[in-house]
Amino acid sequence: MHSFGYRANALLTFSVTILALMCAIASLSDNLNSPSPTAQVQVLNINWFQKKPDGDDEVSMSLNVSSNLESLFTWNTKQVFVFVAAEYDTPKNSLNQVSLWDGIIPSKEQAKFSIHTTNKYRFIDEGSNLRGKEFNLTMHWHVMPKTGKMSADKLVMTGYRLPVTYR
Amino acid sequence: MFGQMDWQGQKLAEQLVQIMLVSFAVMALLVGYALESFQSMMLIYAGGVALTTLITAPNWPFFNRHPLNWLDQSEAVKHPKPKLLRT
Repeated sequence: MHSFGYRANALLTFSVTILALMCAIASLSDNLNSPSPTAQVQVLNINWFQKKPDGDDEVSMSLNVSSNLESLFTWNTKQVFVFVAAEYDTPKNSLNQVSLWDGIIPSKEQAKFSIHTTNKYRFIDEGSNLRGKEFNLTMHWHVMPKTGKMSADKLVMTGYRLPVTYR
Repeated sequence: MFGQMDWQGQKLAEQLVQIMLVSFAVMALLVGYALESFQSMMLIYAGGVALTTLITAPNWPFFNRHPLNWLDQSEAVKHPKPKLLRT
């Protein structure tokens, strides 16, 4: 502590170390939170269902995605990334996952939503397996913290089926 | 403000830095968590660091209440260093 510069430097480095500890504690405090998210996806309409010239099936559908992800937010949450994926199996692949819609929720106030949309991303199969196909719609969410580790989880909704014929 | 502190002052400055920063950190964490505001925590802590710097970094007079009085030159001349005896 021999000079102004010495004291200022020691103080600054100590304060940054303490800051790192504070962020670690803030991140750990997220474990005290027990989230209870809810979600529901309805397929309102199959807009069209075709086999593309290259041989792959494609379907366009209108969806109603409604969800309450408020319980995911803590004081340490920066944003939540959410997406809905169609999941099904084919002879070639035991699991196919196709993202149909995604969004970013920047705050708790916007975490309870119900949106009516056509699929944001194209639902194209690797082949021609979609006729009459049973599929799940799974909502995935990634909770991005202000400081600390990202966590992710999902909610699987079963019982959806595509038409047997093209339209 | 940029002079040397005396020893007691240095000890006091070091203690103040540690106590103040840790206190502000704990307070910032508790207030931030209670208000569910990460920004509150950061602002309180930043304020605490600024205040601590203001109080401990400059060489304030209250850090110099126990100065060391080095021997005056005129007094030193009266007591010369002993000469080595040749053996």
